[in-house]
Amino acid sequence: MPHPTLVTDLCGVRLENPLVLASGILGVTASSLLRVANSGAGAVTTKSFSVDERPGHKGPTILSFGAGLINAVGLSNPGVDAAVAEIRAYKAISRTPIVASIFGRTVDEFGAVAERAAAAHPDLIEVNVSCPNVAAELGTPFEADPATLAAVTRKVKAAARSVPVSVKLSTNFGFLARAAQAAADAGADLLTAINTVGPGIVIDTNVRRPVLANVTGGVSGRAILPIAVRAVFEISRAVRIPIIGTGGVASAEDALQMLMAGATAVGIGSAVYDHGVEVFAAVGRGLTAYLEREGLDRLDSIRGAAHVA
Amino acid sequence: MSRDPALMRTFRVAKVTTHAPGLVSLYVEQTYPITPGQFVNLWIPGVDERPFSVSDVKDGLVEISVKALGPFSRRLVEVRRHDWLGVRGPFGTGFTAAEHGLLVGGGIGVAPLRFLDRVLAAQGLSRRLLFGVKSAAELIFPAAYAGTAELWSDDGSLGERGLVTQGLERALAAAAPRVIYAAGPEPMLLAVLRLARAHQIPAQLSFERAMKCGFGICGQCCMDGAGLRVCVEGPVLTDLQLHQVTDLGLPRRGPSGRRLGA
Ligand SMILES: Cc1cc2nc3c(=O)[nH]c(=O)nc-3n(C[C@H](O)[C@H](O)[C@H](O)COP(=O)(O)OP(=O)(O)OC[C@H]3O[C@@H](n4cnc5c(N)ncnc54)[C@H](O)[C@@H]3O)c2cc1C
Ligand SMILES: Cc1cc2nc3c(=O)[nH]c(=O)nc-3n(C[C@H](O)[C@H](O)[C@H](O)COP(=O)(O)O)c2cc1C
Ligand code: FES
Repeated sequence: MPHPTLVTDLCGVRLENPLVLASGILGVTASSLLRVANSGAGAVTTKSFSVDERPGHKGPTILSFGAGLINAVGLSNPGVDAAVAEIRAYKAISRTPIVASIFGRTVDEFGAVAERAAAAHPDLIEVNVSCPNVAAELGTPFEADPATLAAVTRKVKAAARSVPVSVKLSTNFGFLARAAQAAADAGADLLTAINTVGPGIVIDTNVRRPVLANVTGGVSGRAILPIAVRAVFEISRAVRIPIIGTGGVASAEDALQMLMAGATAVGIGSAVYDHGVEVFAAVGRGLTAYLEREGLDRLDSIRGAAHVA
Repeated sequence: MSRDPALMRTFRVAKVTTHAPGLVSLYVEQTYPITPGQFVNLWIPGVDERPFSVSDVKDGLVEISVKALGPFSRRLVEVRRHDWLGVRGPFGTGFTAAEHGLLVGGGIGVAPLRFLDRVLAAQGLSRRLLFGVKSAAELIFPAAYAGTAELWSDDGSLGERGLVTQGLERALAAAAPRVIYAAGPEPMLLAVLRLARAHQIPAQLSFERAMKCGFGICGQCCMDGAGLRVCVEGPVLTDLQLHQVTDLGLPRRGPSGRRLGA
């Protein structure tokens, strides 16, 4: 039988494998994204960027709590012009697809940043409507209200022209299937799920205060894998568009769970802390070994397999 | 559980040594093995967090030496004995010990070389110290280095007047070390790198970049080129690794990731 392949089609974008670097991890500069691409990622995602430059919250911004990470970086980014320059620099030196992650303070700002991002021809645009770490400043995330979520999605779709658009959701508002439906109906080409969970708080018991400067932060890594798998499972029943299943993936076994829950591609972020950038190649090898062992030649045979009647 | 350096842990400051106004060494309990060149993240509860090299490990205490530069470091030099301090790490890759080293430090860059010097001494490895500062009040532990280091200062208030790299040129003309270790401001490091390459001597240089995490995930400290992370592959990088770096000497990136002045 032929050598199994991990090649994945994501809305017409060809990925050598289904593993996608998640937004906010090693995604600030072209060189950093290139390194992750060269380490075996099938696609890479930029840190989310906005029209205006943002320094982010004071430190600490990212901690381990023993079973995963909690962060409130505060959507630091160099602003759309500098971020787009990094995307162009990346595209000049890499053929691995790149996802531009964007956010705005208003529906119109989402449109403005999408339009400028699209001009750099990223392979996909991901709309971050679900960051839990800037509520004090930007208010409740846009995903919380299906009508607003639809408005953002339509605005970005119009601005993105031919670039496929993913809407990134979290489980933090409870009506995931409805949000997924709203985004799909408004024209989203795919969905990314999930963003960080919570938010949560870590308290230092010596000084008796929260550790994160932002007090609360989004939870990621090991601890959220079953929540993320459930989210993908639920969304894939609600809508027919592809999903980048993200949250807690650190091994081929974890990635297989995501695929069997219905994901087309699999995001990896926090696992870089425990396993290094080598995690992409290791998970990729594990997926190939699985296909060989099962006598399968492609991942399509297992996508959604866990949806038993 | 295995060692998890990204957890926040708080310690009471065990001791503070003031060298000069705005220049102190702080001491906290040591809980993990640390290699010279590695750094820790220091959190002043309620204020902010920044990376600092370890300047010595002795008697179960970690020493960190701080120069007041901006808002955070000005608060840090005000910290008193018994105050709580968050300490995470150690992070990064340190220096590799070798015989016949030449240690070149500039300003507060002397800090990690102080620790390296002590570890080399404990292993019986010969070495030579060259430290440069703006003026006498900028050297940590001046008494400890009065007889052991060749000192340079911009204003001539300590040792010879001039740049430490002049001392390096002179030292290289006299005898070739096996390895050059350096830490200090980036222009100094670039001058050291040029000299090391010209004399074909391996070099290990400690770099600084703005950081958010310190443990390899945020991407804030990545150098242009091969995307080396100063917090994981660095802060100590070899002359060979530096062939893969294309942003040496450029204006630094601020906390947003934008290159200042760009
Ligand atoms: C790996 C590593 C090890 C470090 N070790 C030490 C140490 O042992 N002792 C110590 O005192 N400090 C050390 N630092 C620097 C320290 O983390 C802070 O950047 C410094 O204390 C200034 O912070 P601040 O908030 O007080 O001032 P800021 O407001 O950040 O800066 C004050 C001034 O310094 C300049 N500046 C800030 N950061 C840099 C930089 N990276 N390169 C060049 N100029 C800069 C700014 O332009 C400004 O003029 C280290 C940094 C790194 C990354
Ligand atoms: C430090 C850090 C920064 C993040 N920044 C962003 C961001 O800018 N935009 C975004 O959409 N998601 C961001 N995320 C969420 C991740 O993309 C991902 O959805 C989440 O962490 C779950 O995946 P993981 O468990 O593999 O990390 C961030 C996560 C972490 C840990
Ligand atoms: S400081 Fe976050 S990757 Fe280096």
